[in-house]
Amino acid sequence: MQKNGFKHFVKNNIVVIFLIALCFGFGIGTSKVFKTGNIADLFSTSTFFSMNNIVNLTTQMAINAVLSAGLTYVIILGGIDISVGSVAALAGVVSMLIAQRLPNVNTFCAVLILLGSTFLVGIICGSFNGLMITKFNVVPMIATLAMQTIARGLCFIFSGGKSVFGVENVYGFLGGGRLVKTEAKPTGWIPIITIVVIITIFIVHTLLSKTVFGRHVYATGSNRSVAHLSGINTKRVIFACHIICSVMAALAGVLNASKLQNGQPAACDGYEMYAIAATVLGGTSLSGGRGSVGRAMFGVAIIAVINNGMNLMHINSYWQKVVIGSIILLAVILDMAQNKKKD
Amino acid sequence: MKPCIQAVHIYKHFPGVQALTDISADFYPGEVHALLGENGAGKSTLIKILSGVYTPTEGQIIYNGEQVSFDNPGQALDAGIAVIHQELSIANDLTVAQNIFLGMEPRKKNGYFVDTRRMNELAQEALDFMNVAIRATDVARDLTAAQQQMVEIAKVIVHNAKVVVMDEPTSSLSEHEINALFTQINMLKEKNVAVIYISHRMKEIFQICDRATILRDGCFVRTCLLSEITERELVTSMVGREMKDYYNRQKHTRGKETLRVENLCGGRWFQNISFSAYSGEILGVAGLIGAGRTEVMETIFGARKRESGKVFVNGEEVNFESPKDAIAARIGMVTEDRRRTGLMLQSTVRENVVLPSLTENHKKFNFLNFKWEKETAKEYVDKLGVKTPSIETLIANLSGGNQQKVILAKWLIASSDILILDEPTRGIDVNAKSEFYALMNDYVAQGGTVIMVSSELPEIIGISDRILVMHEGKLTGELPYEGATEEEIITLASGSAENTAKGA
Repeated sequence: MQKNGFKHFVKNNIVVIFLIALCFGFGIGTSKVFKTGNIADLFSTSTFFSMNNIVNLTTQMAINAVLSAGLTYVIILGGIDISVGSVAALAGVVSMLIAQRLPNVNTFCAVLILLGSTFLVGIICGSFNGLMITKFNVVPMIATLAMQTIARGLCFIFSGGKSVFGVENVYGFLGGGRLVKTEAKPTGWIPIITIVVIITIFIVHTLLSKTVFGRHVYATGSNRSVAHLSGINTKRVIFACHIICSVMAALAGVLNASKLQNGQPAACDGYEMYAIAATVLGGTSLSGGRGSVGRAMFGVAIIAVINNGMNLMHINSYWQKVVIGSIILLAVILDMAQNKKKD
Repeated sequence: MKPCIQAVHIYKHFPGVQALTDISADFYPGEVHALLGENGAGKSTLIKILSGVYTPTEGQIIYNGEQVSFDNPGQALDAGIAVIHQELSIANDLTVAQNIFLGMEPRKKNGYFVDTRRMNELAQEALDFMNVAIRATDVARDLTAAQQQMVEIAKVIVHNAKVVVMDEPTSSLSEHEINALFTQINMLKEKNVAVIYISHRMKEIFQICDRATILRDGCFVRTCLLSEITERELVTSMVGREMKDYYNRQKHTRGKETLRVENLCGGRWFQNISFSAYSGEILGVAGLIGAGRTEVMETIFGARKRESGKVFVNGEEVNFESPKDAIAARIGMVTEDRRRTGLMLQSTVRENVVLPSLTENHKKFNFLNFKWEKETAKEYVDKLGVKTPSIETLIANLSGGNQQKVILAKWLIASSDILILDEPTRGIDVNAKSEFYALMNDYVAQGGTVIMVSSELPEIIGISDRILVMHEGKLTGELPYEGATEEEIITLASGSAENTAKGA
C-alpha cells in the first residue's frame, strides 16, 4: 500500500491533475511565452489566465454546474435524465413569459418571481419523470426521453415559436448582475450568477453527502432491494431525486434566460450531454451507487476550460464537440476499468 | 488403472498472494473425488488451473499421460474437461437443445446453417439417456434450477467430457433433487468419467464421493479414501484444529410469545400458515426448496403482499405495508441471497451495517452522525468478530462468513427483537458456520427470537429448539429437536406422510 502511495494518489485525483494540466496547457497556448522565451511572462501575457477570463469562466460554468449537480442524484440512483436541457429551456421560456406580464416590480420581487417559476416548472417536470419511473416502471432513459420531447414542444407552444424578450432590466439581475463595482470595472467584478450557483451547489452537495436522505440515495443506487429490505422507501427516494434534478435543470434555464433577458424556445439544446459528461468525468458511476456533487464540479470545470481555451485559441467550435465527445468516452472507459478491478 | 488427470506440484502465485503451494492430486476415471477446504483454501484456484482459466506459476498438468497446458477454458473443454459452475451457465432465452450445443451447433451439409432438427434429436437422445423428463425444445427459462443443472450434465455427455468438475452443485437443490443429481453422477461414473466434486456439505460428500483431497490455506493437507475416515476427522483436517461441538448447542429458556401467525395465505405460494415463535428460542423451518418458506418469511416481514391472515407481534395485531413497518416493530431479516438482497457490495462495512438504523439514530435535522456510525460499526465488528482490515473496507472484499456477520450486525444495531434468518449459513465455510451458530445462541440467550429457514437438515436438527416442516405451501409438521431425525423431517417435507394418511 505504502509503496503505491504516489500511484494511488494519482489514480484518485486523476481528474484534478488533468484539470490543472489543461489550464496550464491553454495558459501557455494563449500566452506569448514562446515569443519572448521567458516563462515568467506566462501569467502576465496569457489571455487564459487574465482576471477577466477567469471571471468569465465561472459564469460559463454556472449553467452546466447546476445541471450536473441535479443530474448527479439521478445517476447515483443508476438512472439517467436526458430531459434536463429541454426542461431548462421550458423554465426559461415560462419565467420570461411571467416576467413580461409583471413589468413594474423591484429587484427582490423579480428574483422571487424567477425562483418561483423555477420551482413551478421543475416540480411539474420532475414529478412527471418520477411518476413514470416509480409508478409505471418506465425505464428512466425512455421516460426522460419523452419528457425531453414534451418539454421542447411546450417551449415552442408557449412562446409561439419566437423568443420571449422585452422584459424589464430587473429580471436580468439574477443572471447578469455583478457586485463589487470599481473604477476599473464599472459593471462590477463578482457575477451574481456565480454566487447563486456556489450557494446552490453547496446545498445540494451537503444534502447528498451529509444527510440521511443522501445516504438513502446512495443505498437505493447501489442495491435497490437491499435498500427496500432495510426499511427505505425507495420509490419516494427515486421520486425526490427526479424532482431535485428537474428543479436544478429549471434553475439553470432560468439563470440562462435571466442572463440574456430572453427566453428562447431552442435554448440549452444538447446541454444534457455536457451535464452527463461532467458528472461522469467527476467520477459518478453510470451503474449507480457512487459519485458526488463536489467532484462533478471538476468535470464541469474541465468541460468549461476546454470550451473556453479552444475559443481563445480560435479552434473551430465543431472540433470542440469532437474533443468533448472523446473525453466522455475516455471517462466512461476509466469508470468501467475501475469497476472491473473491484470485481 | 492410470489417472485421468493429474496435478503435479502446482504452485500459483498472484501479486501479493501465494494462492497455491505444492499441490499434487490424481483424479481417476470412474471416481468421484471430493475437493475439500474452507473458503479461500484454494479449491477454486486449483479448478481454474485444471480447466485452463489460469496457468500455474510452477508445476504440471498431466492429462491422459501427457503434459498439457491450456491457454483458455475453450481448449480445456475441447480436450474433454468440463466445469459446471455454481452459478449455472444457461442462456435463459434459448431452448434446451440450443444450450446444450452452444458453440458447437451441428451444421447442415453446406456448413453454414444450423441443422436444428439434428440438434434437437441429439439433445433429446442425451436427455433420454439420462432418463429425465425434459424436452429438447423447452425454453431454459421455464425449467427449475434442478432441471437446468440436468441440462448442464447433458452438455457434458454431448461433449463427451472425460473430466467433470462440479462446484457446489447442490447449493440450490432440494433433498429429492439432490438424489436425482446423484443418480446422474453415478451414471457419469459408469461412463468412466472422472468427477471432481466441491461441496461444503459433509453428508453429501460421504454419500457420493469415493476419495477426498483436502486443501488448507493453499497447501495440500491429505488425500484419503472416504471409507476410511470419519466426518470429525475430515472437518479437523479442513479447519486445522479440533472442532469440539460444531453446533455448540445450548440450553435455551423459552420466554413469552413474540410472534404469532394465524392462517396466513399468500396466493399460490402458501396457504393457512399458523405458528408461534417465542423469545429465547430458535425456531427452525425445514422443507424442500419451493415449499414456500421464503415467501412466508417475506410476507411476515412486509416485503410481500399477503392475501389473508393475521400477524401478531408481542400480542398486538400488525399490518406491515413494507419492510419499513416491520423494522419499526423490531423485526430483522437476513435474506437467503446475500449478494443480491443482503449487501451493498460497492459500499463499506460501516455504510452497510448502519443502513436500517439511520433514520432512528440521526434525528437532528436529518443530518448524518458520522461519529455514531464509526463507533457503532467498530463496536459491532469487534463484538461479532468480523475479520476485516477496517470498517472502511469495501464489503465485497470480505469472505462470505464475514459478510454474513456484517448482515447480522446490521439487524443487531437496529435492535431487532425477532430475527428471521433465511439460509443463514449458505456458502460459508465450516469455521464461519460454527461461529455464526455461536452468535445465534448468544442472541437467543439474551431473549431474542430466531426463526431460521434452512435446507440443511443436520443444521436444522443441530441448532433449532423446535422445528416446523413445510411442504408445497402448507405446514405439515412441528417437532421438538430432541429425537427429531432427518428421515422424519424428509417424510414430512416431501409430503409422503400426508399421502399415507390420505391413503389409509
